Amino acid sequence: MLDRRHLMAGGAALAFAGALRPAFAQGGKLTFCSWGGALSDLEKAALLDPFAKTKGIEIVAASPTNYAKLKAMVEAGQPEWDLVDVGGRFIWQGADLLEPLDMSLIPNAKALDKSWVASKGIFTSTGATVIAWNTKAFPEGKGPKSWKDFWNVKDFPGPRGLYKPFYYNYEAALLAAGTPRDQVFPVTDEKAKLAIEKIRELKPSIKVWWTAGAQPPQLLTSGELAMSSAWSGRVLAVKKENAPVDMTYDDGIAWGNAWVVPKGTPNAKLAMEAINYAIGLDAQLRLNSFGTYGPVLVEAAAKGTPEERKTMVTAPENIKNMLILNEEQAAIYSAKYEDDWNKMQLG
Amino acid sequence: MTEGMPQKSSDALGAALLLAPALLVIAIAFLAPLARLAALSFSSPQGVLAAYRELLGDEVFWIVLRNTIGLAAIVTIITLTGGFALALALTRLGGGWRLALFAAVVLPLWVSVLVRTFSWMLLLERNGPINEAMVATGVIGQPVQLLFNFTGVTIAMVHVLLPYAVLPIYAALVKIDPALLKASEGLGASFATTFQRVLLPLSARGVATAAAFVFLLSLSFFVTPALLGGANNMTIPMLIDTFVNERLAWPLAGAASMLLLGLVLGCIAVIGRFVPLGGLAEAR
Repeated sequence: MLDRRHLMAGGAALAFAGALRPAFAQGGKLTFCSWGGALSDLEKAALLDPFAKTKGIEIVAASPTNYAKLKAMVEAGQPEWDLVDVGGRFIWQGADLLEPLDMSLIPNAKALDKSWVASKGIFTSTGATVIAWNTKAFPEGKGPKSWKDFWNVKDFPGPRGLYKPFYYNYEAALLAAGTPRDQVFPVTDEKAKLAIEKIRELKPSIKVWWTAGAQPPQLLTSGELAMSSAWSGRVLAVKKENAPVDMTYDDGIAWGNAWVVPKGTPNAKLAMEAINYAIGLDAQLRLNSFGTYGPVLVEAAAKGTPEERKTMVTAPENIKNMLILNEEQAAIYSAKYEDDWNKMQLG
Repeated sequence: MTEGMPQKSSDALGAALLLAPALLVIAIAFLAPLARLAALSFSSPQGVLAAYRELLGDEVFWIVLRNTIGLAAIVTIITLTGGFALALALTRLGGGWRLALFAAVVLPLWVSVLVRTFSWMLLLERNGPINEAMVATGVIGQPVQLLFNFTGVTIAMVHVLLPYAVLPIYAALVKIDPALLKASEGLGASFATTFQRVLLPLSARGVATAAAFVFLLSLSFFVTPALLGGANNMTIPMLIDTFVNERLAWPLAGAASMLLLGLVLGCIAVIGRFVPLGGLAEAR
């Protein structure tokens, strides 16, 4: 029962907490939204918590990223998120909703490869869309090595999974059709058409069009799928737990996790400082040991142990067999051919 | 009991005042957001009707609309058939059994649709219990695909909607005088004849109410088709989801929502010609 004494004790505790709060929040707080799962864990532990410590601030984590929510927040003028991890193409798709980055606050960007830096977003870690499979369906050494193998249902039988939007599938289909890596971009009508036709060819074997990163590892583990496209970090995370799933970086589609600052956030400066910290050498080196999503900074990747480098997209021996996704082009084909893509899926 | 219009205008005023709080809540909670949604659908930068024009001129919209209505129709037919059989069983069973069956029908209503959908996902997996049981008993040679296609969506939707069919049909069946069925039997009618000429006509209103419930709810189902369906099972609510979350084309989402609402209201108007709309409220 709530009697007067308890009430007073509670009141005192509240007053005490109230007195503490301003001291704790001295440097303010930064709300960071990302996709959840292995990625959010990594970003918090390796990139943001150490930053918060040096600044004496508090990181509030939110998930998952939702573009509609972001749009609503920005349009209402009160974005609750200060820093958001988005798919790279959103830097262009959502340009109106984002704060331009003040590069004087982000000097570390100079050390990054140009393709990881844009005026409204910077990539802070790397991953890839890779071919993953169930190891009972394809034992060690018998797994697919290219998108051509992915399309080859005769030698590699079994149900397939692909990402639901055209994103990643445009690249995978063209590579399967034999388009050389350096000719996948820029997008043209012919290439988009070829890609959609190539997917139509595989369609009878595509049993799942996945929408969430957690799906491919789960569906491959349960045996619902024999082979699927998947996000590398998610596969590496379940591999660590000895799930019967494997993947290859060969023919993978490399991308980064982009950080953007929603327009109108009062903490824009702090958010940009966080980006600067995240792409610095100390923070990037911490990504090496996690073995899920790797560093963007080549200098950090070069310092990885041989074992760590196996899981890293940016290790030269891996990236040389991969296509680097052009997110600006992806924003273009995603919008322009959406209707043709939907028709192919429905038909 | 006297019913009908209030006699004096002061009575009408009193009734209006008593209803005011409820009407206010409805206006704020339902009508205002709906009006905003409608306004949104006319707010496309390309013009007031641009979103509707784009939607109606798009082949994808028509395929998806056909999918939505087709799925709703098939789910309604299966649910009504199963629901009628269950309701009939409920009227015939004695005490304990009836209670148990009632619980089995009604209790799932307390479990979230999301949880029930995920449960079906586990049951229908390639290596899940249903496939394993069918393989073990020799019904099928090897596991068949029950998930991420029409079959999976239909099974789960029928399960979720079954109570909405059983309850109104049961309410209609218990009102039928058992003597009528005995008389029919006594006059030499087969069960099929009794069903067709006695049972069905006397429970028609309950069946129509059930059909209306199930069909209208099916039209707006999102979670189950989104999680258990394949890409070619896309329904209007899923299309609205991609407009909202992926394309950020909110006027299109608003327009699609208005068209779906129009379809549902149209259905209610048509059904209202056959069943007095009060029948919908009567079914409990």
